[in-house]
Amino acid sequence: MTGSGAGAPASCWSCAGPVDAALPFCPTCRAVQPPRPLDHFARLGLPVDFALNIAELDRRYFALQRQLHPDRFATKTARERAISQSQAVSLNEAYEALKDPLERAIYLLKIKGVDANPDGCHTVKDPTLLMEQMERREALMEASTPSAIEALAREAASHVSESEAAIAAAFAAGDLDGAGRETTRLKYLVKLLEEARARKARLTAERSSAA
Amino acid sequence: MAYSEKLIDHYEHPRNVGSLDKNDDNVGTGLVGAPACGDVMKLQIKVSPEGIIEDAKFKTFGCGSAIASSSLVTEWVKGKTLDEAATIKNTQIAQHLALPPVKIHCSVLAEDAIKAAISDYKAKHGTAKAAE
Repeated sequence: MTGSGAGAPASCWSCAGPVDAALPFCPTCRAVQPPRPLDHFARLGLPVDFALNIAELDRRYFALQRQLHPDRFATKTARERAISQSQAVSLNEAYEALKDPLERAIYLLKIKGVDANPDGCHTVKDPTLLMEQMERREALMEASTPSAIEALAREAASHVSESEAAIAAAFAAGDLDGAGRETTRLKYLVKLLEEARARKARLTAERSSAA
Repeated sequence: MAYSEKLIDHYEHPRNVGSLDKNDDNVGTGLVGAPACGDVMKLQIKVSPEGIIEDAKFKTFGCGSAIASSSLVTEWVKGKTLDEAATIKNTQIAQHLALPPVKIHCSVLAEDAIKAAISDYKAKHGTAKAAE
């Protein structure tokens, strides 16, 4: 592995011919190639951009998955089976990271050098965001009927869409700070939406078992 | 993952859950959040004229470790002076609750919350100084 990024020339392990790092198969002998160190966008043949076309992402992912699925290598050598396995893993990782807007924003910030998801000693000091989230979470705790929770979930879902649009606009304008701030906000909004859905499911289950 | 008994006790029976009036002059409010998990933690202290923390309340929306950390801090700060309360370190919280490494940030959040509450109180009383 050359380790020098997308498009770097590599050679095929089987026939030693030249292989483009972005290609999973050798153009000369057709042997499956180990996954090269590509970013997730390059692995799926997509431009590095937050605003991606989900249908296009799906199309590319499923096409590659069909070619690389370990089932297709059942009759091949152990080496090729192992390589196809690691290709399938890399492909799934790339797809998972790109299909979800929050994960995509975090990943895109990361490859642009901004850590939007530090898991260490880092706390948010954005009083407006925190106040707003505290109020919404309290409102959710106090909501006692499925329809009240549903209304809060709908509101949260529309805030999630607005936030995704704001992140797209910030990336389009090259405003990484803005994209980072909005990504933190999206994280909170997604969490709120998940909580609302979980609470509604619990409440609905309790009611139907009580009935 | 095995959690300590103390942690589970604070999680299942959180102490001092609730709110104090944030507009009360004797109340300091700290509001902090952890971006890694979308948690939000509110910690409030009520300070006597002698500068002793006579009551503390918290409200945390987050994981069990975040709830336990804030519950523990409200217990620890009661009866302390502001300066004493400001010396609480996340490492003490993490140690007491035997937090697993991936949950250390929850204790950091609780430390930041008490510091934020103290500086809010001090700001209200014009004795604001950077609480680090």
